Amino acid sequence: MTTVMLVDDSATMLMSLKSILTKAGYTVETAGHGKEAMDKLAKGVKPNLIISDVNMPQMDGITFVREARKAPGMRFTPMLMLTTESEQTKRNEAKTAGATGWLVKPVAPDQLLGVIKQVVPGA
Amino acid sequence: MSRLLRRQPAPSAPMDSRVRTDVVATGLKDVPACCEVVGAHLSDVIEQTGEAAESIVEQMIKVDGLAEQTAADVARLAGTLGRTESELGQATSSNDQLVDRLVRYFLYRDEQIRGLVDEMRGLKQHVAQIEEVSRATNILALNAMIEAMRAGDAGEGFAVVADEVRKLADRSAKAAHGIGSSIADLTGRLDTVLSDDSSFEKDTTSAAVESADTAMTRRLTGIADAQRALSQMVSGVLHDTMEALRDVEQSAGALTAETTGAVGHVQFQDITRQLLEHVSDAVGQVKQATEDVIGYAEGSVPAETVRERAISVDDLRARHVMSRQRVTHGDHGGGAAVADDTPIIELF
Repeated sequence: MTTVMLVDDSATMLMSLKSILTKAGYTVETAGHGKEAMDKLAKGVKPNLIISDVNMPQMDGITFVREARKAPGMRFTPMLMLTTESEQTKRNEAKTAGATGWLVKPVAPDQLLGVIKQVVPGA
Repeated sequence: MSRLLRRQPAPSAPMDSRVRTDVVATGLKDVPACCEVVGAHLSDVIEQTGEAAESIVEQMIKVDGLAEQTAADVARLAGTLGRTESELGQATSSNDQLVDRLVRYFLYRDEQIRGLVDEMRGLKQHVAQIEEVSRATNILALNAMIEAMRAGDAGEGFAVVADEVRKLADRSAKAAHGIGSSIADLTGRLDTVLSDDSSFEKDTTSAAVESADTAMTRRLTGIADAQRALSQMVSGVLHDTMEALRDVEQSAGALTAETTGAVGHVQFQDITRQLLEHVSDAVGQVKQATEDVIGYAEGSVPAETVRERAISVDDLRARHVMSRQRVTHGDHGGGAAVADDTPIIELF
């Protein structure tokens, strides 16, 4: 079973994405910001994929990706940024931090599921 | 022409070369409060759209769950109907075989009875012989009586008659034996026919079995036809019901797909929230700049501070993070439009 961790400060986004992914057969973990997501990783949650927003309170998405890469077993885990931002400089920052890809909101459910299958082997 | 460039100058009036700061302060006095109110309205909109979007997602998830439940119920019912249709077909086939077997059984029994009737007809010959013997015996007896009267002591003729009577008696005995044998045979065969019908299965060579048309076979065939017609009717109903269930199943699947799409569209709220937050920030900056100008006019804020914190349309553009914001900004005179050709999905 593929586990996806969703990190977003928007409750609406978390609900809608969780609904889409659960229906597609994925197990979903959610966090409201990067710090909460790091806490979950520290407690042993081992997602096969992380989808994170960029602008969030307490710990933004790019910082979270940078920190998550240092967590045990997360070196090669795919991490996608899902954000309203489209600037190239931010994308470069995310890439440097260790992100796997950049998706601009809104993304259609089919597109999102297609990307997941692309980045997670066997998903 | 952009809105900013279209802005008209103030109505022409006799210009006073000396700026009256008290007028400036009065003119701008309520602008910060207005900004505050606008900012509060924006917060309300963000909060309300957020709550509405969450409710929409919750409702969609419920609808989705109901659609999935409906699809599961329909699949289960379709399975039951499919099994019923199969069992009905098997029962119909079994009934056909049973009726066919019954028809053959009755035809076989008819043939057996017909054979017995023929045997009974054979008995008539023996009866005729006995009648003949009886007549001859009577004549001989009469002759014997006459000869006996004539002969008196001479009984030669009577001896001849007596010999003939003996022969007739012998023939009568044989005929009686034949009748007895036939009756025994018929009794045995009737017993067999009445007690054991297994042999008819093996006897399939008789033409009568194939061709006979009796009241009983017609009734049985009628029952079989009625049963078959009933089975076909039930099968038709089952087929139509399963077609309807397949339609419901497809509709449930389509509904699920639609709800998934609708849930995906709820991302608009997150985008709108961020757009409104940027607008709210901009309103806050207008408020701050206005307060600076009022402070300057009232003498509490130095001119340098006003210059340093003056809002700039270029700064506003620099804070835009969304492609749509930059395009809208350019379209409304906030500087040259910035082409944004970055992909929506980019894998590094």
